[in-house]
Amino acid sequence: MRIVIAGAGEVGSHLAKLLSNEEQDILLIDENVEKLAQLDANYNIMTVDGNPASFRNLRELLRDGCDLFIAVTPSESTNVVACSIAKNLGAVTTVARINHYGYMAPENRAPMKQMGVDHVIYPEYLAAQEIVTALEHPWTRYWFEFHDGAIILAGVKLRRGAPLIGMQLKEFAMTNHAFHVAAIKRHHESIIPRGDDRMEEGDILYITFTREHADDLRRLTGKTDFKVRRVVIMGGSKIAIRVYNLGHDRFKFKIIENDRDKCHILPEKCPDAEIVWGDARDPDVWGESDLDTADAFIALTPGAETNILACMTAKDMGVQRTVAEVENLQFVALAEGMNIGKVINKKLLAGSGIFQLLLDADASTAKCLALSDAEVAELEVKKGSRITESPVKDLKLPRSLTLAALIRDGEGMLIGGNTHIQAGDRVLVFFLQGAIHKVERLFS
Amino acid sequence: MHTHPAYHHKREHRIVNWPMLLRVAGWLMMMEAAFMLIPLAVCLAYGESDRLPFAATAAGTALAGFLLSRRIKPTHHSMAKREGFLLTAMVWVIFSIFGMLPFIFGTPGLGLSDAFFEAMSGFTTTGASVLPSGSAISHGVHIWRATMQWLGGMGIILFTIAVIPMLNSSGGMLMFNAEVTGITHDKLRPRISQTAKTLWLIYISLTLVLVALLWAGPMDLFDSLCHAFGAISTGGYSTQSTGVGSYASVYVKVVLTVFMFAGGVNFSLIYRGLRGDIEELQRNDVFRSYVWLILAMFALFSTNILIRGCYTGWESVTIDPLFQVVSVITSTGFTPAAFDSWGPMVLALVFFMMFFGGCAGSTSGGAKIDRLLFLIKNCRNEVYRCIYPRAVMSVRINGRVVSSELVHKVIAFLCLYMMLIAAGGVVLSAMGVPVVDAFFSSFSCMSNTGLGADITGYGSSYEMLPDAAKWVLSMLMLTGRLEIFTVLVLLYPSFWRK
Repeated sequence: MRIVIAGAGEVGSHLAKLLSNEEQDILLIDENVEKLAQLDANYNIMTVDGNPASFRNLRELLRDGCDLFIAVTPSESTNVVACSIAKNLGAVTTVARINHYGYMAPENRAPMKQMGVDHVIYPEYLAAQEIVTALEHPWTRYWFEFHDGAIILAGVKLRRGAPLIGMQLKEFAMTNHAFHVAAIKRHHESIIPRGDDRMEEGDILYITFTREHADDLRRLTGKTDFKVRRVVIMGGSKIAIRVYNLGHDRFKFKIIENDRDKCHILPEKCPDAEIVWGDARDPDVWGESDLDTADAFIALTPGAETNILACMTAKDMGVQRTVAEVENLQFVALAEGMNIGKVINKKLLAGSGIFQLLLDADASTAKCLALSDAEVAELEVKKGSRITESPVKDLKLPRSLTLAALIRDGEGMLIGGNTHIQAGDRVLVFFLQGAIHKVERLFS
Repeated sequence: MHTHPAYHHKREHRIVNWPMLLRVAGWLMMMEAAFMLIPLAVCLAYGESDRLPFAATAAGTALAGFLLSRRIKPTHHSMAKREGFLLTAMVWVIFSIFGMLPFIFGTPGLGLSDAFFEAMSGFTTTGASVLPSGSAISHGVHIWRATMQWLGGMGIILFTIAVIPMLNSSGGMLMFNAEVTGITHDKLRPRISQTAKTLWLIYISLTLVLVALLWAGPMDLFDSLCHAFGAISTGGYSTQSTGVGSYASVYVKVVLTVFMFAGGVNFSLIYRGLRGDIEELQRNDVFRSYVWLILAMFALFSTNILIRGCYTGWESVTIDPLFQVVSVITSTGFTPAAFDSWGPMVLALVFFMMFFGGCAGSTSGGAKIDRLLFLIKNCRNEVYRCIYPRAVMSVRINGRVVSSELVHKVIAFLCLYMMLIAAGGVVLSAMGVPVVDAFFSSFSCMSNTGLGADITGYGSSYEMLPDAAKWVLSMLMLTGRLEIFTVLVLLYPSFWRK
């Protein structure tokens, strides 16, 4: 696929590297020559120095065609204009990164489409959704529901004392038919396990199961259930406001913000939340915001280090659920290994939004989720695709992917060696970075 | 297990991923063996005794390559900057080592130093030869020398990237940067293998057209092939002992001049030109300078010839000097017959052209006109600043302001370039080579021109030099071809330490 990315900021360069590793043709355009030179010299991509919203540059870039145009500059109006021009010059699909909910509201989809913007990516909104899911299922690291909850994929960290520790996967599979361990994240690296791999303390297991078995899993992993009610957010960022909007009917929010001026705007955006002015790292502020009685703590300041440290402090004080926004990709794997609960990264979320488009031009049938070095996708099986040719055990699947579960006629079921996948099934695929083309091949 | 290097800093104890390097080197050797089939076929066609050395070398190279690529199983496939530099430099040496074997065991019967010098001179498109003029060598050896130049002209690594899909990655990207000449490296297409394929396609097409044109003239097919390979790669090996000059044909000179000229132009520019972007050619400062420089030199040469009374007919003031100018500026090193009698001023101009060579991103050698342009513009700014110290000046190339870091890099390059030439000259004179010849040989090899050593009157070919000098010159050729940094970085202690 020939993909043009406008904007070599954090999201843009992350996408360029990621998609180049997936063996796509990447052209990256930005006005910052230094940023480009760095990427151009080290990655298998072509960079163009110029304004991404200029007709001249885009005409040059799109001369040999463009399957996907991704505009991820910091300015949302530039993105929309760039998409509009690109669409008119022949880009097949366009995606714009936006900063306001208005652009993705259902009633505005038609005018957006008319302007030439096929899809929008709103990383802050995706992050807020992840956070709210994390608050609803506080004992898991990840909780993804597929097909209205017919199949659930949960990421659970094994702590000391969990009954599963030391067990081989094949033993686990024999005694518990309701679970499938799709992947294990161990020491900063995702692996797709085989039957004789053992589960160890500190692993994050990615397990698929059907809804009725959720409590069994919680017991097996040695977790206790609790309901989150009081939530303290550090940093009144855009994500914080979106989290409030998505969850204020279920949770009670308290927002600590350092900036006096921002504190005056927040009550307008989040009318039911309590706003506290102060530095969330200051013990006096904790007292004032009743951090010791909170059920969850979410750190959303721009500093990854601040967020990680604040979450550790909150855990120390007895807050059971903590979520940290970590924007430095280098820190994500590290932070996930620490005792801080969930880690949010806007770039990874934006990346999975784009992966979804790569896997299926019609985004409604594919669903993608980002982990730091692996992806999960829900894909519809088309007639005649390779995957339907024989039962799973005879498919000779590459080691970098695994079929986690499938949904047939609205019913979720796990996939074993004898399962024969049929056209029309929706399959949950778990794959490591760099394997997207293998997935594509399997499903076409 | 695939992991993204940027996000997972796993502890890596080895500084260089040797298994991966050797494996890629193995593939490359199999490729070289495939190219050895060309001389083998020629030997068979002419029924020459050299078929045996060629068959044996090809088989040996293929076997060694096969074993390396099959037996070595790297634990991880990542190639970082260090591997990129090291592999690129290593591959050129390995190619020369295997490429020299036919020179030792075949009809030339050269010694080790001579053979290595000849092979390196071929691959780096220097075109300096240790074979005594008039020595009878087989057609197979002739075509093998030409093939080496042709392969080295566009670049061994570049060819590999085009054909081995596994190098279509960041690792291949780094090797591309280590091999392709120029200050910055523009890509033509999004993926590096596509860029490499496009460049090779242009190169192959130009070669085929040239072979056809030469064949249509007085040359036979074999000579056309050899000269085409030597001209487009700006290498300069000829099948005739007296050089191209032995073809008195104006037609041959005109055709060769045109294609040597093309060989000295940035191939990405040729690509754009072929795509109909003529405006780009006119706008390109480097290309314009290249053309003007050639025209200016041509005028000086012709005037000089007239003044010295060397006029022997219309050819002697038109095509002969033009041929010579293009041949030198593109670092080809073909010489027309009358060159010796043109006098010292011509020689001085030749030095100047040898130093700068053609455009970056072409097959030519030298320090490249791009750098000359940077240097001149920067010097002009510095002089201007003496009068107006507050003036904000910048170096502009193709209408774009160039960052001062890039200007510094160019100046550092030129300093190193001159220092290495001088160092080579000093080392050679320490070995007993007369001073002028020592410096000239060093210069000629560093700039990959390979003009015969006889210009300064020392000997008719490089065979006169002591063995040690040949190794020094071989290294200079490699350093010049890979534009210094790729080779020099390997000598830097930090390269081998973490």
